[in-house]
Amino acid sequence: MAVQLLTGGLAIGAIYALAAIGFALLWQTSQTINFAQGEFVMLPAFFILAAVSVAGLPFWAAILVGFVISVLVLGVLFKKLIVDPILPNGVLPLVVATIAFALILKESVKDFYSAQALPFPSLVPTEYLHVAGAVVSSQDLFVLAVSAVAVLALNTFLTRTRTGRSMQATAQNPVLARILGINVSRMILYTFVINASLAVLASILISPVYLAKFSNGEPIGLAAFIAAIVGGFNQVRGAIVGGLLLGVVENFAAAYLSAQYRGAIPLFILVAVILFRPQGLLGRAEERTV
Amino acid sequence: MATEADGSHPKDPILRLQDVVAGYGKMTVLNRTAFTVARGAITTIIGPNGAGKSTVFKAVFGLLPAKSGRVFFDGRDVTNLPPRRLLDLGICLVPQGRNIFPQLSVRHNMELGGVASKNIKGLADRLEEGLDRFPVLRRKADVQASTLSGGEQKLLEIARALLLDPMLMLIDEPSIGLSPLMVQETFAILKDLRASGVSLLMVEQNARAALELSDYGIVLEQGRTRIEDRADAILIDPRLQQLFLGGGLADDAA
Repeated sequence: MAVQLLTGGLAIGAIYALAAIGFALLWQTSQTINFAQGEFVMLPAFFILAAVSVAGLPFWAAILVGFVISVLVLGVLFKKLIVDPILPNGVLPLVVATIAFALILKESVKDFYSAQALPFPSLVPTEYLHVAGAVVSSQDLFVLAVSAVAVLALNTFLTRTRTGRSMQATAQNPVLARILGINVSRMILYTFVINASLAVLASILISPVYLAKFSNGEPIGLAAFIAAIVGGFNQVRGAIVGGLLLGVVENFAAAYLSAQYRGAIPLFILVAVILFRPQGLLGRAEERTV
Repeated sequence: MATEADGSHPKDPILRLQDVVAGYGKMTVLNRTAFTVARGAITTIIGPNGAGKSTVFKAVFGLLPAKSGRVFFDGRDVTNLPPRRLLDLGICLVPQGRNIFPQLSVRHNMELGGVASKNIKGLADRLEEGLDRFPVLRRKADVQASTLSGGEQKLLEIARALLLDPMLMLIDEPSIGLSPLMVQETFAILKDLRASGVSLLMVEQNARAALELSDYGIVLEQGRTRIEDRADAILIDPRLQQLFLGGGLADDAA
């Protein structure tokens, strides 16, 4: 049973991690705190479902269409229409704007598509495998494998390519990055595109299990936010650790403590981390220049 | 503008500003600024606070738009080109204060000096040469840059700027935050750079020390060039005393 809980927890944790990574990247590179991140994970599934049911596309084509539309809307348009105009006025106004955007997305799906929880096709058939004396879901293993590949690919991109290293430099010191000749606004755009891509991936991985519902955004967004903070807001690695930890603890707590208080677990963890290790588990204690 | 006889207006300037107007929002800081910078020499811009010294660098390096006027580098119009183009053409900027990535190693910091360059051939060799040129950087190559002293960090910034083999280095107040000894060492390095063929344009608050180091001086006040002359001439110029003891120069000095 514990092994099942562990793999299940890691799988949901991996999805939280994907959302948390994008969240942390947006903050690091452009001071954007995106409280619509959960809705960013909820929405692509609906683009894909619409492509299938309304446009009649086969599933694989619907995924491509959904990916492109999501990246355009949640990456490029989000940046150009919401972030760029509002961010010069401060971080807090942008936070409020993303909260409003989250509401718009959520209510739009509910009113224009469906208020029901809709089934979402899985990319692998659901089977139960027997591994080391325990029963493990193929769905969970698939989620873990795909997430791991995605994170590795992102890490390779960020550390081994010039564009990736330019993005990292932009995140660490945008003023200096500009002086080094880096096109800072383009790097920031790439961050938004990457965030949207991670959200699409998370959406495709989570919707088969939790169904596609307009209200899915809230728990995921909260988990992404908490995972990013718990891991250490300034580190992408922290977002991964935070996400996995959150998923596992949540799963075990729901099974052994109380299923009703499942939603409260992430908040307890958040409070504990902020009290005892405010820089996050992997975060560096912020140095202040005097 | 001072129109001295020979020696003060370089014939083949590496940099020339022509009536540059620039500022922040409605505030104009550079007020038809014009001057020339000699090739292969050290030129220092001095002037009171608010004169527009750092703004000149920002306007030249594409960090601030020039609303009118022209900037010529090596004879070529580079007005309002972005930093990446200027780096490719051979201008680099070492800004005021600490401009490093504190969490990265010294070596990694230096590497990032070439991150936007298309011309990556030979970059690795020049990186090693750079480290060899400044032994303290070689010693601390794999150490986190935040642990370096102020003077060492400034050295790192200079070494990083040299990675792309620039013809002209713009260096903004290198002496800030440094002990007098470190200032001397930094100035000595600037002399070495001049000897190796790099032209230097420097902004300095520490006017006397900077002019003693330099070949030429430019005095900026309220966004206009007031004096443009050999550095040793400016040092003994009585108008300098007037400028730095308050009270601007009379406008008929132009």
